[in-house]
Amino acid sequence: MDKRSSPQFLNRELSWLEFNARVLEEATDPAVPLLERLKFLAITSSNLDEFFMVRVGGLLQLLEQGKNIFDPAGLTTRQQLLQISRRTHKLVADQYGCLLQELDVLMKGAGIERVSASQFDPSQHGHLESIFTHEIYPVITPMAVKSASEFPRLPGLGVNLIVRLTPDKPTSRRHRYALIPVPRRLNRFVSLPAKGRHTYALVEEVILAFVHRIFPGEPVLECVPFRLTRNADMVAREDQAGDLLAQMREVLDARKRSACVRLEFSDRITKTTRLFLQQTLRVPDDFVYPVPGPLDLAAFASLASLPGFEEHKYVPWMPQPIPQIRPADSMFDVLARHDVLLHHPYESFEPIERFIEQAADDPDVLAIKQILYRTSANSRIVAALARAASKGKQVTVIVELKARFDEARNIDWAQALEQAGVNVIYGLARLKVHAKICIVVRREADGVRRYVHFGTGNYNEITAGLYSDISLMTSQEDYGADATTFFNTITGYSQPVRYRKIEAAPQGLRARVLELIESEMLRSQQGQKGHIMAKLNSLVDAEVIRALYQASQAGVQIQLNVRGICCLRPGVPKLSENITVTSIVDRFLEHARILYFRHGGDALIFISSADWMPRNLDRRVELLVPVEDATSREKLTAILKTSFSDTAAARLLQPDGHYSRAAPHGTTGALRSQQVFCDRAREAAREAQKAHYQSFEPQLPARPIQ
Amino acid sequence: MTETTSTGSRPVAVIDIGASAIRLRIAEISADGAVRNLESLHQAVRLGKDAFSTGHIQAATVEECIKVLAGFRRVMVEYGITRDDQIRAVATSALREADNRAAVLDRLYMSTQINVEVIEGAEENRLTYIAVQDVLEHEPRLKVKEAVIIDVGGGSTELLLLQEGRITYAQSYRLGALRMRETLETYRAPADRVRSILDQHIRHAVDQIRRTTPVGQVRHLIGVSGDAQFAAALLAPDWPQVRVSRLDGAAFTALAEKLVPLPVDDLVRAYRLPYQGAETIGPGLLAYAHLARAFQVNELIVPKCSLRDGLLKEMAAPGAWTQQYTEQVVHAVMSLGRKYQVDEKHAQHVAELSVRLFRELQPEHQLDRRFELLLRIAALLHEVGNFISDRSHHKHSMYIILNSELFGLAKRDLTLIALIARYHRRAMPRPYHEEFQLLDRDSRIAVLKLASILRVADALERNHMQLVRELKFSREKGQFLITVKGVGDLTLERLALREKGDLFEEVYGLKPALRAARPTREVTGDG
Repeated sequence: MDKRSSPQFLNRELSWLEFNARVLEEATDPAVPLLERLKFLAITSSNLDEFFMVRVGGLLQLLEQGKNIFDPAGLTTRQQLLQISRRTHKLVADQYGCLLQELDVLMKGAGIERVSASQFDPSQHGHLESIFTHEIYPVITPMAVKSASEFPRLPGLGVNLIVRLTPDKPTSRRHRYALIPVPRRLNRFVSLPAKGRHTYALVEEVILAFVHRIFPGEPVLECVPFRLTRNADMVAREDQAGDLLAQMREVLDARKRSACVRLEFSDRITKTTRLFLQQTLRVPDDFVYPVPGPLDLAAFASLASLPGFEEHKYVPWMPQPIPQIRPADSMFDVLARHDVLLHHPYESFEPIERFIEQAADDPDVLAIKQILYRTSANSRIVAALARAASKGKQVTVIVELKARFDEARNIDWAQALEQAGVNVIYGLARLKVHAKICIVVRREADGVRRYVHFGTGNYNEITAGLYSDISLMTSQEDYGADATTFFNTITGYSQPVRYRKIEAAPQGLRARVLELIESEMLRSQQGQKGHIMAKLNSLVDAEVIRALYQASQAGVQIQLNVRGICCLRPGVPKLSENITVTSIVDRFLEHARILYFRHGGDALIFISSADWMPRNLDRRVELLVPVEDATSREKLTAILKTSFSDTAAARLLQPDGHYSRAAPHGTTGALRSQQVFCDRAREAAREAQKAHYQSFEPQLPARPIQ
Repeated sequence: MTETTSTGSRPVAVIDIGASAIRLRIAEISADGAVRNLESLHQAVRLGKDAFSTGHIQAATVEECIKVLAGFRRVMVEYGITRDDQIRAVATSALREADNRAAVLDRLYMSTQINVEVIEGAEENRLTYIAVQDVLEHEPRLKVKEAVIIDVGGGSTELLLLQEGRITYAQSYRLGALRMRETLETYRAPADRVRSILDQHIRHAVDQIRRTTPVGQVRHLIGVSGDAQFAAALLAPDWPQVRVSRLDGAAFTALAEKLVPLPVDDLVRAYRLPYQGAETIGPGLLAYAHLARAFQVNELIVPKCSLRDGLLKEMAAPGAWTQQYTEQVVHAVMSLGRKYQVDEKHAQHVAELSVRLFRELQPEHQLDRRFELLLRIAALLHEVGNFISDRSHHKHSMYIILNSELFGLAKRDLTLIALIARYHRRAMPRPYHEEFQLLDRDSRIAVLKLASILRVADALERNHMQLVRELKFSREKGQFLITVKGVGDLTLERLALREKGDLFEEVYGLKPALRAARPTREVTGDG
């Protein structure tokens, strides 16, 4: 196929940037509480950081290797980089427009005010001078830059100041420069005394105000904050034999040294200094971002969660208990009776924590096996696993060290688990383990029984309150057998064998998905109604997209709810006219993957850890789990249908790659799916409470979510 | 902490170390003997490649096996399987043929505490039969009474002939899918000749199998191997739901033809096969296609079972199986006897008398039930040598037995049986009787204990008329007194006993004597 002439696909990088633009829309939406808007702004910024490190870094590496190749959308690597730069400059301009013209003003009104160095009043000046002297000055290390070749190896993403000083000798015209990296352990936001208000200065502004103290007796000609981003698309070299743990440490070190892919600085910078930085760091114009406000907006997330100011935040959402599980229930008893399907964060993640904790303490439990990808530092689950091991249970944990940017955190708690006697397996060579599964092997009166939790989200108590995900818990034999088989293959104890119900990537998942799409197409060709509904985070894989196009052409109705990147072009006549793509960006991050195939009326419904991206289908260990229990199936179908009828937070992907709101923003009576899920969960919990209010069972304290 | 549950269901593990893979099955055996599979694991190893090319297992391969077994051990521990009586590990052709097998076994044991037992073809055959029979019994639709059951493995092919629902013939052949692959590689066969070399090789082996299998016509061919099951998974749409599939011979052959020329990489990609499976699938299926043609059957029956099921079944019900197994073995023995035209009634009768004596003398000989079976078989076969010549027929009997393959009997058993038959007449063991002297002391003593019983039994059946039936035994004044009811004249028997009772007296310290149970006249046999 000639890829250049293929307009069938949207470029994935530009599609991702569109997603980030949708997140930014939340920051500019007056209907969203002020501090939540600030948080959305911060998210767009940290998203961009990752995008530059990984995606732009990867494209630049391609170019360096001389691979100026076409992507499925028909763009060369160089063209992609150019378009990315254009779109990103626009996005950054919008970010700062949002911050400086809207949020700053509104926040000032709300009592949160940023004061810049030039605006310090005398009392503020005095206060800051004291802070500078006692807290900042002792920990900063200015570095002289004698020549371009001696430019220090600054780590990426930190804020730095560049200081321009007069030349050594009056005869020389060469300016001298010095760098002041702002130590990460310094709080970015320095509070100023103010009554009933929160007034703050950015730490780099404080340094700037007192910079003459660092260079006594020297005229400081210029002092400007800047920030650089380095390529992080480096994977551990697994072809070489050796310790994966040691290799991951190497990657972390390498990340500190790799090439600069973005340079941001305050737009107050002079041309001289700008040129010096750009030439020294060898950053082309396209990747230079002069900004009219503070650098690193991601840091503003901490300001957004400032205590107090509750009227400017979302009303905390309390994940609800589900009627089938009462607070005092043993999860084993519950699961022996029926499967449990949970929709987080509307429904509480607590049953999963309870499941693992009860497993740790139950004398009949023989073994616990779990994959931990991104978990939180002080996790109840990690503690329970360590406890189980110390009680003599066989605990095996697969820790995925390749969870990007979480490597450092993962290494720490993995070693702690190992010390507790857990059999810790550090991932698989060449493959990232992305599936979420926990198996408990329990000896019971009628023999060994296996309890399994399959999830679409990580075992992370924090994100379980912020991401919308699905949990399926079951004690059915086939799932137990499949789950242990799956585990034996990823622990390397066995080679892959066929599963009874599930499918796993990289073995059969792709083939199964294609087969399901194709079978819907064949049914449609033979006159049956064909219908596919899928909820995903990303849709990139060309083979899957082609299959969807063919199904659409055969008359299959295809509804896709893709939160992020979508390379499929919907609604193109003769190509994809039966496909609609919506994207929901709202309070909770849409994260569940749910698939529905009509299958002649006897629908096949799945949950999955995998997005439809080549990396997920071919280079990751992922799961596709059919849901067969009637109640759970109804619940999933309802989730899909509600998502597709969203008219408040949903955006519709247009054939040209742009997104537009499903209904004009602010339309009264618009359906906001996340609100519907909250209401339903609360209603179900209330009904259940009413139904057995006489049993006087205490409610467990639930953890509120910000 | 991991004892058997109070309800009596116990977790067990069986391990099968084959030519190209090591396989583990974890199962649970309930109090009523039902087997519930919990986990199946397998991992590729190069044992067959080593064994079939150089005859020697390389150190790296041994380390590979240790790694695999160590992983298995971990999974076993998760189910509380740690004790030896919960684990049975067997190794087949590859280790069987390795010249350093003893060292390998020791190394495996030292590193993993798993005691691996190398089983012979006959034992493999027996275990496979247990598994197949279990499937067939649960499939009443399949009234298979006459069939050849063939397992084309990596290094050997096991064949069982089932007639009237009984095993009548068993044989192990050196035809193996991996062995063929290795041979091709050793001779660096050019790609375009691979197919014709394979065909030639298989045809040659299959001709031999067909020639040696003592049957005119078989109704069914039952294929028991991973390759056969792979074919079933492709050809039978209902394979996931059934325990046994019938594959159309033509479709099967077409599949074999299609797969044989495909490169291993293509097979792995297109059929999602593991590499070690991809290497053997072509020759494996081709062998079945040839076998079907040779036996003139047009379908292949594939039961979903393996050696591991046999091992588990046996762990689940060792006692229950013994009865059935004994019958099958005896049946195969009788078929052999018939082939050599023994006096069946005489043989049966001597066997019955031997068993009665064996049981009576339990306090003296203290041998277990297995030896009773060996004695019974020796009795059934003691005169097969007559087929060659009446002179020295005991010697002919010995080498006929030694060179026969009998279902369910290992080489060591056959040696004991042959020697018991060897000494059923008057000859006593001599230092130059090599087969006897090569036995360990316990076995030598067992042979003497059993041969002496056989001699007495044979003496009682001296006239080949099956007259001596009702017996009573007593021990009096250094005599082992056999009281015979319903026979008037015991002269001939007494004479025979005088000739053949010497060994009995030597072994048991009791002089055998005959007495007719007649209240009127009491005759004491005085030897």
